[in-house]
Amino acid sequence: MQPKLTAKARSSDGEVGKISKVIMDPISHEVSHVVVQESESQGQERCVPIGDVQEILSEEEIVLRCSTSEFGQFPILNRDQYVTTHEVEIAHLEDNIHVNPGEVLVPLPCLERDVPRRTFFTNMTHAIGALIALPFAFPVLKYLMKPMYKPYDNAWFNVGSAKKLTKENIGYQFKFNRGFKEAFMPEQQIEKNIWVVKATEEVKKAVYEGEDRKFYDDKGDVIWVNKANSPFIGFSGKCPHLGCGYKWRRTKNYPDGVFLCPCHLSIYDEAGKVIDGPAPRALDVLPLDVNAGGEIKIIDVEYKAGVKNQIRLL
Amino acid sequence: MNNQQRTANEPNALEKVVDFVDERVGLKTLQAKMLNEPVPGGSRWAYAFGSCLLFIFILQVVTGILLMFYYVPSTDHAYDSTQYIIHEVEYGWFLLSYHFWGSSAMVVMVFAHMSQVFLWGAYKKPRELIWLVGLALFGIVMAFGFTGYLLPWDQRAYWATVVGVEIMDKTPIVGDFMARFLKGGPTPGQMTLSRFFVIHVMVLPAGLMGLAGLHIFLFRKAGPAGPFRGTPEELKAKTDYFFPRQIWKDIVAMATVFLIVCSLAFIEPVTLLEQATPDPGDYHPEPEWYFLFLFQLLRLKMFGGEFGQFLGAIAIPGAFMAFLAALPFIDTNPQRDIFKRPIALVGWIVIMLGILIFTVSAIINREFLH
Repeated sequence: MQPKLTAKARSSDGEVGKISKVIMDPISHEVSHVVVQESESQGQERCVPIGDVQEILSEEEIVLRCSTSEFGQFPILNRDQYVTTHEVEIAHLEDNIHVNPGEVLVPLPCLERDVPRRTFFTNMTHAIGALIALPFAFPVLKYLMKPMYKPYDNAWFNVGSAKKLTKENIGYQFKFNRGFKEAFMPEQQIEKNIWVVKATEEVKKAVYEGEDRKFYDDKGDVIWVNKANSPFIGFSGKCPHLGCGYKWRRTKNYPDGVFLCPCHLSIYDEAGKVIDGPAPRALDVLPLDVNAGGEIKIIDVEYKAGVKNQIRLL
Repeated sequence: MNNQQRTANEPNALEKVVDFVDERVGLKTLQAKMLNEPVPGGSRWAYAFGSCLLFIFILQVVTGILLMFYYVPSTDHAYDSTQYIIHEVEYGWFLLSYHFWGSSAMVVMVFAHMSQVFLWGAYKKPRELIWLVGLALFGIVMAFGFTGYLLPWDQRAYWATVVGVEIMDKTPIVGDFMARFLKGGPTPGQMTLSRFFVIHVMVLPAGLMGLAGLHIFLFRKAGPAGPFRGTPEELKAKTDYFFPRQIWKDIVAMATVFLIVCSLAFIEPVTLLEQATPDPGDYHPEPEWYFLFLFQLLRLKMFGGEFGQFLGAIAIPGAFMAFLAALPFIDTNPQRDIFKRPIALVGWIVIMLGILIFTVSAIINREFLH
């Protein structure tokens, strides 16, 4: 049973006053003191520890563990040292107090009485909300997906002259410009690069394993065949590990030179095979053609990095 | 005399305005509620990290908005407009450098804040939801770093994004879609820049504001955890309110962070590398320092190959985040004292050392490559 505010407080020998306030302990969230206001008008308010409340007779009356004269020894409430529960934020502080004199009620408006289909209206609101949102889902998705999938570009690009390749089994970088058209933007020229190796018989064998290499378009039709005996082998400039740009470098361990990617330190030999590092597959061989004048042409094929098998992106 | 007294007691114009608003909004109660939050066991410097994060974020918003006055998010203008901010606009270099170093400060502060919460055992019941929302905020902060990085469209920006998106591509099932969605096509270009820009300046700020609001709301709902030692009586004796002692510590910490970020902006202002192109030239691509440990991890042979890469880039970081999310539900022991939670303490030290070692070895490798 909880006493009400305004409940009478009695000592062992008579009434001393009424409960005017309650003090909560901020740590335990329990009532720590009741504040008893002395009977006479404008009487002093004294803090009585909850332990000195002997008995709660009813909601209207409590008994303190003291005499009337002892009651005068409880400290006087210094209001400045307290804040109300409205002015402080202590989680769950008010869970344990029901000091209000009964519940505070407000009458329901007439129209709200006996409404039988509250659940129906709740569900209806959600359903209409969903009906508003759903038609958006597909257009929004399609809107955002517009540039994501493009047909492969199988155009040939001139990258330079094969005369540059004076030594065998060494990587030569060729830079070329190609146009990219995106959305509404005017076509932009982007510089890309590939590596070409003039291969000896062993390297050719290592790359092609004696078989011609076929390249396909998105319908699965063959667009080009690299002959297994062609001496010029072009590698895509994109590292098949995670897509960085690798370089032909001579290092202490590989004085003849290797393809080295500075990002995650994948190392490939002149045939593009992985010698060291985390790369999952060999360098990607490009469709390459050399005409009678020694001009090298390639198709700018790009594959997804980081997977064992070649998955064409571009 | 009587007249004079009356005028002295009468509210002035400002007080009248305050009273007008207060009557309608309840500002004074709200203010009291915000400031009168008991801090069990008293205010501490260790509690300042969260406030610092909020402070850094606000300044990132301010400097970010200012940068957008000149920045143009298109592949043919992004680089030039950023150079213009650095070299032509008065104090452009400072605002850009502040924004740049502010992002690093944010990451450092997130790690400090998470470590404090972890070591204090403050993720435990009843604060599980605060921890979960905090993890989501951590993700947003890292995403901010990743997306902001591309915007200057220089070589560093381009290659960090190329590799970062390739890593995301390795997520099972949705990876290819996610990578294409972010790139806005099969390869990085204008659509990538547009998408990263929108995500950086609209989507992530909205997400961060919403989640940070929820984070603070949940925090106030559960109340501060307080120190992990001490009897209720000891805690009560030392308890004070958020204002003024904790706010004082917070504001001193914020001022310190501000001074450090400003100094870094002065000492090491942002400079751009060459404009982005699919040929890195002599540049050795590398991510921002807070991703270096992951970058170095992926150099290991054991995380090579298709499966190894999935393990290193997706599975292990994913499992670690999932573990952190599950932590308050696995670790239900109410003991919060870190010195009585040996596994937690050792685990924290091992992870911090791991990140440190991998970061340092990435830096050493950098010297070796040049």
